[in-house]
Amino acid sequence: MVIAEAAAAFVAWFGASVIVLADGRRGVALGLALTAAGLAFLAWPSAGVGAAIVIAAGGLLGAVVRNRSGPAGWVIMPAGSTPRLILCVAAALVSLWIAASVTSGDGAALRFAVLCVVVQMGGRLFTTRDPSITLAAVAALALAVADTVAIGPNSSGVAPFIVAALVAAGVMFVRLPASNAA
Amino acid sequence: MQPELQANLSVLVAAAAAVVLALVLSPPRMSRSTLVANGGAGLAGMVFIAAAPSLELAVLVLLALGVLHAGAGGRREFAVRLRGPIAAAALLGLALFFARVQGPDVLSRFAAVGLAAGLAAGVGLLPYIHELDPEEPAALSPIVWIGFVGPVLATAVVLRAREVLPAGAGGAFGAMLIGLGLLNIVWGTVASWRTEAGAAAWHYSFVADWGLALCGFGLTVSEGSSAALLVLVSILIGRLPLYLASRQALREKTPTERPINLVVAAVLAGSAPFAGFAARVLLFRAATQLYWPLALVLALLMLLWLPGSLRLGQSLGLPRGRQAFGVGVVVALNVLIGLYPLPLLSLAGR
Repeated sequence: MVIAEAAAAFVAWFGASVIVLADGRRGVALGLALTAAGLAFLAWPSAGVGAAIVIAAGGLLGAVVRNRSGPAGWVIMPAGSTPRLILCVAAALVSLWIAASVTSGDGAALRFAVLCVVVQMGGRLFTTRDPSITLAAVAALALAVADTVAIGPNSSGVAPFIVAALVAAGVMFVRLPASNAA
Repeated sequence: MQPELQANLSVLVAAAAAVVLALVLSPPRMSRSTLVANGGAGLAGMVFIAAAPSLELAVLVLLALGVLHAGAGGRREFAVRLRGPIAAAALLGLALFFARVQGPDVLSRFAAVGLAAGLAAGVGLLPYIHELDPEEPAALSPIVWIGFVGPVLATAVVLRAREVLPAGAGGAFGAMLIGLGLLNIVWGTVASWRTEAGAAAWHYSFVADWGLALCGFGLTVSEGSSAALLVLVSILIGRLPLYLASRQALREKTPTERPINLVVAAVLAGSAPFAGFAARVLLFRAATQLYWPLALVLALLMLLWLPGSLRLGQSLGLPRGRQAFGVGVVVALNVLIGLYPLPLLSLAGR
């Protein structure tokens, strides 16, 4: 189980990194799907299978809708992506240190994934002006915020996961202003 | 009723009143139906934030509200419009993370930092002041966050901070709010006095008022939170509608010096008998109870409201017809709350 959780945390980080590094709709959609899958798996042990399914469904639906609009193709690591790459690596290293060394208790993989995704999505917002990428970052951020519930004693039930899934999928249907639509 | 919802009830009522006042004082560039739709959506989001049983849910509603607001249009780019709410959600998310993990005590201090920074980012205060385009319709501008949604968001965050943070970090959170408050008071009052652009002066005056509210929230005695509540209500039914009323005169650059302009300046400066005065008295009492030199500092800083308020009062121009009626209602409401704030405080369970 520990190896599976570590793999899921890696998938979540990798997905968030793809969102950070990609400028094309395929890349962003893939990143969102991977992030959702990783976070869903990590939420499962403490929040239950229902929460995991809801998170996965919300993220995947958001990814499918995201793949329909925005700049075409993958466009992963276009010219000038070095600062974004540094963000991905630095976020992973700092998150790993905090999750494994500074904090204690079970669920280090979940702590790593949540911290990574929140930091990377917060950073992504300040490196893009593309609405479709911004919305993907919002979706991943919503899923990560919901996963914080799974870190401590869960008194909120499955409600935060349902709302996060609704936000992650729902924001993709927001009609963008004509001047901003990609 | 949930205690969180009850604590926000008076702010929600004031927000509903602000929507009605905005309709009376509606800017000519935006149709009333659009204003009702935007105001109603904002109000619904505020009710969800206030009624959310946990901070995680409030953060998720904030994200959704941010996307809806950014998608509603406006002159600024979508991504730029969304920066405040997303930065707030990310910082509050980090705060929740640090509050929930097990580890050294310093982590709960990080959580307190995240909550204070997230609150400032969500509302649009220093050091996260949102970018203002004076030509943008008010309902699509950052004024929505600092003057309409912000009061409910701040009350929700501060109330839930007590549940999320341990006692030691709660004190640090309060101290950070006071520090941020003082910083915003100085920055907001001086900038609203000295800046050249009229719309920016109004924006900074909101920042200054928020400084008082943060100080009130930071003072962990009941008078402090009552003062913060009154400041937030005075923003909603005082500063916000008066800003809307002044937009036409700001565009036409027609400052006037009639008696109504002086009265409006007095409302904005928080002088007696208006709502801001009651808030300031409560704030003094709270600061004196907790640490009297702070009351002295606050007293000196409150003098800084005068020059900026006189300028903003003049920028209102000479309201006529429906606008004059609206401004009259605003002044009357502020007098009412200033003289008899008890019902409002009781509504919030204080």
